[in-house]
Amino acid sequence: MAKTNTTENSNTETGHEELAHEITLFAEPINHSKEFPITNALLTSWVAVLALIVIALFLKSKIKEIPKGIQNVFEIIIDGALSLCDQVTGDRKLSLRIFPIAISAFFFILANNWLGIMPFGGFGIIHEGEHGLSFIPFLRGGTADINTTIALSIMGVVGANIFGIFSLGFWKVLNKYVNLKALGDIFRKVRKDPTVIIVAPITFFIGLIEIIGEFAKIASLSFRLFGNVFAGEVLLVSMTALVAYVVPIPFLFLEILVGVIQALIFSILLVVYFTISASDHDHEEEHEHNEHSKNENNTVQENLEVLRDHGKKDAVVV
Amino acid sequence: MESIIETFHIDWKLIVAQIFNFAVVLTVLYFYALKPLQKLMAERSEKIEKGLKDAKICEENLAKTTKEYEETLAKARAEANDFIKESKKEANDKKNEMLEEAKNEVKILIDNGKKTLEAEKEKMIAEAKKEVSLVAVKMAERLLAGKMDSSFDQRSIEDLKNIK
Repeated sequence: MAKTNTTENSNTETGHEELAHEITLFAEPINHSKEFPITNALLTSWVAVLALIVIALFLKSKIKEIPKGIQNVFEIIIDGALSLCDQVTGDRKLSLRIFPIAISAFFFILANNWLGIMPFGGFGIIHEGEHGLSFIPFLRGGTADINTTIALSIMGVVGANIFGIFSLGFWKVLNKYVNLKALGDIFRKVRKDPTVIIVAPITFFIGLIEIIGEFAKIASLSFRLFGNVFAGEVLLVSMTALVAYVVPIPFLFLEILVGVIQALIFSILLVVYFTISASDHDHEEEHEHNEHSKNENNTVQENLEVLRDHGKKDAVVV
Repeated sequence: MESIIETFHIDWKLIVAQIFNFAVVLTVLYFYALKPLQKLMAERSEKIEKGLKDAKICEENLAKTTKEYEETLAKARAEANDFIKESKKEANDKKNEMLEEAKNEVKILIDNGKKTLEAEKEKMIAEAKKEVSLVAVKMAERLLAGKMDSSFDQRSIEDLKNIK
């Protein structure tokens, strides 16, 4: 739908100027190597990767006991990011394990975001499409392509679950989604606590919802990032189209800021997901459960309330 | 779902390519930037911590040593004072003793001297007496042998009278 809209616009424009930079919702392919489409977003990502590699190698060559220049900057960033990570995880050890992934995601997204704003829009190829000539820039913010953000989110969510398997074990992670343990509890605890017949299926069902939740995480992560960055590009282009000079400058600054903020949000959410999958929910639940049985107020209603609270927690996280 | 894929041009090949990109970034950043930097930072903070700790220990040691030094000095001074006092006292005692001894010796010497003098005197007197009497006898003999006249008699009687 969006595609038709934008192409319609471009049609009218091309009518006047022959050439127009159309803003498409997707990244346009610049070249094809066999079946593989090399899009401008992919090219930007490669440039970003290259830039990060160069910076990393440069930093590596400059690392000294007494910090100087660029090393100072990165030490401050690492220190700050690590303490931010600590605030989320509440545990230095866990932070140190999650940190490399989060900070890499941060820099990768940041580089992609900023490369999208950089004024290289003038370089590109003229493509003869279905609707006449159109201009395709070489560089398009890597994160302004849903493929990139989906890749990052899949990596994040799958990575978080693998991380969970490594820290909790496969059985516990499996029980989070397909709660075999809860079903088993029906037979184990039914004599001591008959309410389990009602609670266990609900717990099992919540586990199934968690699976949907994981996909929701992928969707929310990828569309949040993509939406923000793409909207920024659209904003900049339309501002430039309105008034070519001066007026877009504040929006440029805004986009620089948005680039940082979105990268930060994405990486912090990664840390949150990793932390959640590394923490043992079962344990807490059992603890609460024991407390309840101590008080001998173990009614169905209360159990339901506990479950609802957990549901709320998860909803907040999603 | 179809329409979403169509609208956004979702392509699994691109997704894989981007995951690969991210993997490259992660690897490079981790091995070339994060790991060495974090190691360095940890080492540095350890070093600083150790330095501060060492400085504190040094300070404590210094304070301790100064205190010990002062204590030792004070003790030495007190000991020296005692020693000097004692020696003074001892010297005084010795001096007094020696003086006493010397006095005694002198007294004995004087006594002895007096005694010998006395004895000498007495001896001399005795000798003198003896001598005198001998002289007297000789004189008498000579006188008697020389002029024996009445004048002589007279004179010698008078002399004898005077002698007494």
